[in-house]
Amino acid sequence: MTSPLPPEMMEAARGWAIALRDPAFDDWDGFTGWLEADTRHAAAYDAACDTDAAVVALFSTPAPIAMPEPRPAPSRFSRRWVAGGGAVAAALALAFVYTGSDPASAPYTIATRAGVSQTIDLEPGTQIVLNGDSRVTLDRERPRYASLDRGEALFVVRHDDARPFIVDVGAAKLVDLGTVFNVARTDEATRVAVSEGVVMYNPDSDAVRLEAGKSLEVADGRLTVRSVSLDAVGSWREGTLVYDNALLPQVVSDLSRSLGVAVTLSPDLRARRFTGTLAVKGSPADVLPRVAPLLGGVASSNDGGWTVSSRARP
Amino acid sequence: MESIFLEHRERLLRFLRARGAGDDAEDVLHDVWQRIANAPDGPIAEPLSYLFRATENAMRDRHRAAHARVNRETNWADSGHAPEPPPGGERVLIARERLAQVNAALAALTPAPRVETIFRRFRLEGMGQAEIARDLGVSLSTVEKDLQKAYRALAELQERFDAE
Repeated sequence: MTSPLPPEMMEAARGWAIALRDPAFDDWDGFTGWLEADTRHAAAYDAACDTDAAVVALFSTPAPIAMPEPRPAPSRFSRRWVAGGGAVAAALALAFVYTGSDPASAPYTIATRAGVSQTIDLEPGTQIVLNGDSRVTLDRERPRYASLDRGEALFVVRHDDARPFIVDVGAAKLVDLGTVFNVARTDEATRVAVSEGVVMYNPDSDAVRLEAGKSLEVADGRLTVRSVSLDAVGSWREGTLVYDNALLPQVVSDLSRSLGVAVTLSPDLRARRFTGTLAVKGSPADVLPRVAPLLGGVASSNDGGWTVSSRARP
Repeated sequence: MESIFLEHRERLLRFLRARGAGDDAEDVLHDVWQRIANAPDGPIAEPLSYLFRATENAMRDRHRAAHARVNRETNWADSGHAPEPPPGGERVLIARERLAQVNAALAALTPAPRVETIFRRFRLEGMGQAEIARDLGVSLSTVEKDLQKAYRALAELQERFDAE
């Protein structure tokens, strides 16, 4: 397409592409100076970024859908609802929006820092409310597509038979059939809850049809469908968290995401469950000491975070 | 934010011209500022770096848009009708095959698995270089060199993909 650029110039361009990718990069004058030194440097830098984007785009290739274990029989279904979950919130200095793509599509990523949610309007009648410490990848060329990379989001989707709205969650695929639904993704599990309409989970393989009032959890390769209170779906938006027999590690990671602080749980509480509604509006210092007793514990603050334990630390 | 923008306007313009915006530098900067001024307020730790970052992102967007337009026009001219993307299934299979090659290339970088680990943390998990260096107990320059090595290997691989 253009005459090849010298290898050492490309090496330098890659060096800048690496440096700029670092969140802490601030040598903008140095970068300007390098660009000014040779008029070809801007093109070399763009080429390095294009290559990087093309390679990295490969990492989001959908993996073959694999469910290591067969779906449990319907008798295993139980009436409980587990909301949220996730890695301990790592507070970012700012909601960071960056872009990266191959030329055929135009993906971009929106990430929120812990404790701050963001509403993304995709097209009229369709929006995504992204919870704190969460990330979605969207595509300017595909307004009816989203990938939940981590965390939790509520999808409000105007249904269109001709153009189904598709959400990728790791290797799994969700297709809306007219819908408001919530998706939470953690390292251990993916949870989907539907409050309006119908969502299809992995239409090509599992083909699980989730109607309003149903939730689905996939953890350790096992897929479980449960009932869910309609009010619970996306309740984090209103500052309340609603649970029915949820394990405490999940409750605590939801608290972490909603409050924007790291909240850890002492090991002796990990197997406990909670049923009820938690109001989480306010600062961590307001909320946690009030909420912890409801979970059967006590909240204490430590270096930049909080711990919920069964006894106050000495 | 606005005072910082006005104070450093010339620096941003100089960056934009060097970055290849040419005569459009003023327009690009205007658009960037409009977007920032209309965005909801939030605490921003390093406002100047944020302005540069937003400006750089705008240039990348422009580059991508231009690239996509050229591709469309070229395809149109070549075939005489609207371009047809390869079938989705086939595209995914090619991508999976390439991803396997990328993974193999990363795993082969020495010292293994340090180079691969550093690349994945930096590029796929978004960790900063300083944090990675601390975490792995290596120097910052080791992290830089390993990243340079990984990027070089992946660039060579991508060149082969482009030639396929």
